[in-house]
Amino acid sequence: MFGYINPLKAEMKMREYEIFKAYYCAVCKSIKKKCGQLPRLALSYDAAFLAVLLSSLSDVPLQAKRMNCAVHPLKKGSVITTDDTIIEYAAEMNIILAYYNLKDSFKDDKSLSAAFGSALLKRCAGRVKKKYPQKCAIIEALLSQQEKLETAKCGSMDEAAEPFAGIMQEVLCYEGEPVNKKSGEILRWLGYNLGKWIYILDALDDIEKDLKKKTYNPLIYQFEITEDNPDDDLETLLGRVEFNLTHTLSQISSSMELLDMKKNKSIAENIINMGMLAKTEQIINKRGAAKKIGKSV
Amino acid sequence: MENPYKTLGVKENASEEEIKKAYRDMVKKYHPDQYRNNPLSKLAEERLAEINEAYDYITKNRFSGRSWNTGGQTNSRNWSTSGDFGGDPEFSNISSNINSGNLDYAETLLNRISNRNAKWYYLMGVLNLKRGRYDVAYSHIENAVNMDPGNDEYRNTLNRMNMSNSTYRNNAYNSGYGGDANLCNTCSCLCCADSCCECMGGDCIPCC
Repeated sequence: MFGYINPLKAEMKMREYEIFKAYYCAVCKSIKKKCGQLPRLALSYDAAFLAVLLSSLSDVPLQAKRMNCAVHPLKKGSVITTDDTIIEYAAEMNIILAYYNLKDSFKDDKSLSAAFGSALLKRCAGRVKKKYPQKCAIIEALLSQQEKLETAKCGSMDEAAEPFAGIMQEVLCYEGEPVNKKSGEILRWLGYNLGKWIYILDALDDIEKDLKKKTYNPLIYQFEITEDNPDDDLETLLGRVEFNLTHTLSQISSSMELLDMKKNKSIAENIINMGMLAKTEQIINKRGAAKKIGKSV
Repeated sequence: MENPYKTLGVKENASEEEIKKAYRDMVKKYHPDQYRNNPLSKLAEERLAEINEAYDYITKNRFSGRSWNTGGQTNSRNWSTSGDFGGDPEFSNISSNINSGNLDYAETLLNRISNRNAKWYYLMGVLNLKRGRYDVAYSHIENAVNMDPGNDEYRNTLNRMNMSNSTYRNNAYNSGYGGDANLCNTCSCLCCADSCCECMGGDCIPCC
């Protein structure tokens, strides 16, 4: 989807990393089964995280199989074979979100690769829409809400992030076993904050690009950034954004603590408590460092 | 009631110290402060009640005769906006709407008020906090604290927001996050030390 959700490999046990990879491969294989070879390129770690998180709630013991891989033909890797409906769901959500994302970026910049990608995913995305008509209708309504906020040049990162937060809330809201009423409620709040984190982090990451291309970015409007003086009040901006991002992460983490996880707990903890923090700090530091270089020149 | 040992995450033959420690960790983890003004606060309270119950059960049945009754203290406290607004019925009404989750209605009521004092900013802040709009929420609550620095409730809410962030960060650091940075420091210290040595004529790292 966006690729901000990653494990912090350095702090992971080998076994945990193997399991995470096996989830990734399982989602990848599921995409192939549904849509063919090429759409596999749309796969991101985000979908693997979704599969890890949802299947942590099921008490089916983990099983994996060594399998060949068409993308890496020389390597044989482990693939998770249990919780297959959850893995299928993660694959479907990955496809539908990638499709909407490509369609949106084609509308924005008319790039060929986006046109090609969305055409490639169209048929498969149509099948997902048929399977989850309600969910996709909600996502589409939120997407058009997002578009409205963008044309209105919304100057609040909180408000601008809300539609995407709603989308992730919908994505995490898996219906059926092993998710019950209680864990569903927790997953919704977790998803809301996850979406918020992704959207604001992405906005921070894209400030320079959006200034150049003159495309919408909530932070540009909230902090009145101009191209001539992009780092005018960088400290305020970074302080406010960092607080906001860390607070969403603290909410994600405390929501996770409430989930009754039967497995994968240490993997989810690694991703939420460390991987996502590392990504946040990396992007904040990149912005902070850009200023220092600018000053010395 | 579930197996109380399982609830606390300890083995049935765990020592008194281990049980105490597990209990303390759990209480910290699910403490209402971590979930205040958050839609999951009820679930966290339930979880904490389970933990207290499990701990009470174990202490009564294992270490009977001893009385350390720390359990049950936290969940009896009232963790919503206090509703004590100096007898202002309008603000009390808004506050109770926020607490029961009627956020849209509370917002309409707040927007109708033209006299925007510290109370107004505080309630607007809590409302946004519940919605998950942390940037707006923080600014409003900070505003309330600046306008009425003597008010403990405003200040506590602001402190709690900061606390959640540092708890999250400490969690990461305690599980090893940032270890690489230390490694880098060690390297750069070595490089610095080497430069010093070079000045004096020696060189322990020949390449730099």
